[in-house]
Order: sequence, then structure tokens, then C-alpha cells
Amino acid sequence: MSCSPFDVRDYVLRELTGEERRQMESHLKGCSECREEAERLRLTEAALLTLRDEEIPQRIGFVSDKVFEPSPLARWWQALWGSAARLGFASAAMLSVAIVVAALSRPAPAPPAMSRTELARLETQFQARLNQAVQQAVAESEARQEQKTRELLAATEKRYEMERQTLMLQVEENLEFLQKRFNAARMMASAQIGAAR
Amino acid sequence: MIFRAVEDADLIGKARRGDVEAYNLLISRWEKRVYNYLLRIVGNREDALDLSQDVFLKAYQNLRKLEDPGRFVAWLFRIAHNEAYSLFRKRRPELDGDGPAEEPSEAGIPVAGSSVFPLELTLSVTSALDRLSPEQREAVILKIYQGFKFEEMAEILSCPVSTVKSRLYTALDLLKGELAPVKARGV
Repeated sequence: MSCSPFDVRDYVLRELTGEERRQMESHLKGCSECREEAERLRLTEAALLTLRDEEIPQRIGFVSDKVFEPSPLARWWQALWGSAARLGFASAAMLSVAIVVAALSRPAPAPPAMSRTELARLETQFQARLNQAVQQAVAESEARQEQKTRELLAATEKRYEMERQTLMLQVEENLEFLQKRFNAARMMASAQIGAAR
Repeated sequence: MIFRAVEDADLIGKARRGDVEAYNLLISRWEKRVYNYLLRIVGNREDALDLSQDVFLKAYQNLRKLEDPGRFVAWLFRIAHNEAYSLFRKRRPELDGDGPAEEPSEAGIPVAGSSVFPLELTLSVTSALDRLSPEQREAVILKIYQGFKFEEMAEILSCPVSTVKSRLYTALDLLKGELAPVKARGV
């Protein structure tokens, strides 16, 4: 055994690295003593493995039991500190709550005192502005509608013109074709008359 | 095995957050191995089953103390080893805690089950294992039957790797002499 680069038992028990195994296999090819030792160890292992594992007679399982489980508060606390995402979310939530509380707790400014005439004047101004805004919106809408109508009309005229030109072209082509056929027929007729004479 | 370790880590994470079903799934993956390890150590089916249940309960209660979920299996078998030796100490108070009695238990530690191999071979193997010391036998069980690496065995047994190797090599030399003798190979 002393002649081998590694312990034969480590080799048989699969405790050597890939490179060590390769060296060992190379050695075993040329050393009958180590080869015999490895063979005996393999036979021993094979004999031991003839004793098979048994099936467990009764499956083990647990049901949820408060005695063995951490309390919900402890679980929540642990989960909170165990997750960076949750911790970040909790921080953001706390910051939001702080902002809302600060906003609600700030006293609102008192409304300024206002006379009846001032109120009436403001109401008139508001009504005038509202009317002006409505008129402007209606005018803009009418202008948009008019523009759209003009565009549609132009597009229709253009399409009509294109269709007309296409039709004219087809007529011209047909006429040319018929003219050619007529010429060909006339030439054939002249040729036939000449031959008959 | 690597994928299994990854999935185990996921289940451990869920179990730590109180998911009992995730833990039950984890149990279903390892209960057979833990049971057979204990059965071969204590040599009694009833004790092995009781101990297996205790092992998984203790593991659940201490799951938060497991620093590296990737080392769950070695940690679980460490608990199993401790539970088995606890039982030995209860049964045999005269022992100073170093391990079970030298003589084999009445049920025979190795388990033949419904082996397809010849009865003579099964008996030879059982008898050869019985003649080992408890420490040597446990080293063989962890390595040959459970497939642990030397480092994991050292973690489970709480001893140096050199001690693990020494126990295992001595055991293998003895077993080899009985199961694969030089002049009568082909057991």
C-alpha cells in the first residue's frame, strides 16, 4: 500500500478528487498488490450493501401546534427584520404616516372677512369668466368641426379625380387595343383577297 | 444532491417562518435515512421510530439555530447521534457517556429486511458488523450506508477527521478479513 500515491481506502470510498482518482487509476493499472487491495475493499463494500434499508413503519408528521411555533408577533417581527424589502416598505409607510400627521396637525389659515358687495362683484366676475370660457370652447369646437369637414371634402374630391383619371386611362387602353385588332383584321383580309386574285 | 440541498434550504426557510407543511415535506425527504441510521445504531425498530420522531421534533424546535441551511443533513444526523447516545445512557447508566455497550443488541444492529441476497451472506455481514466496536460500527454506517464525507462524519460525531478515518479504516480492515478474505474471495 505504501507504493500507491494515495490511500487505496480513500480511493474506494470516493474521497479523492478527480485528479487524485486519475493518478490512482493509473497506478492501479501497474500495481497488482494495490489492485488486489482495492478489489477486496470493493467486495467488502458490496457485501455490506447487501443489507438494504427498511421502510419506516410509520410516517412522521407534525400538525400546527402553538406550543412549538413562535408567536404571531415574534414571527412578524422576525419576518420584518429578515427581509430588506419589507423593512424598506415599513420605513416608507412610517414616513408617509408622519407626513400625513404633520399636514393634518398644522392649523389651517382663517378665511378673510368679505362684504356682500365684494361677494356680488366676485360672483359677477366669475359668471363673466365662465361665459367667456364657454363661448371660447364652443367657438373652438365649431372651428375644429369646420376644419374637419373641409379636409373630408378635399379628400373626397381628390379620390374622385383619381378614379376619373384611372377610368380614362382604361378607356384609352381599350380603344388602342381595339384599333390594333381592327388593323390586323384588315391586313389579313387584304392578303386573302390578293391570294384569291 | 446539490439541487436537493437547495430545495432543503427553501423548505427550511419556510419552516422557520412557521410553515409546518414545509417542515413535514422536509421530514418526508429524510425520515427513512434517519430511521435506518438509528435502527442500525440502536438495533430496535420501536426505539428507532421513537428516536426518529424525537430527532425531527428537536430539529424543528432548534431550526433557527442552524446557521447554514446547506449543512442541514449533517446537523440533523448530529441530533440523531446525540439522541441515540442519550438513550444508551438512560438504559445503561453505568456507561460514562462514551457510547453503547460493546456487545450487540438482541435484535441485531444491521437490518436484513426483505433482502434479495442469500441468507448466508446477510448473516455473515450482520455477524461481522456485530463484532465491531460501537464507534467503528457507526463510522461504517455513516460512510457505507449513509454516504457521508469524512468532514460531515466528523461534524456528526463531533470528533476530528483523523479519528473518523482511524475508526473507519480499522473497521474496514476487520470487515475485509471476514467478508473478502485473501484466499476465499467472491463472497
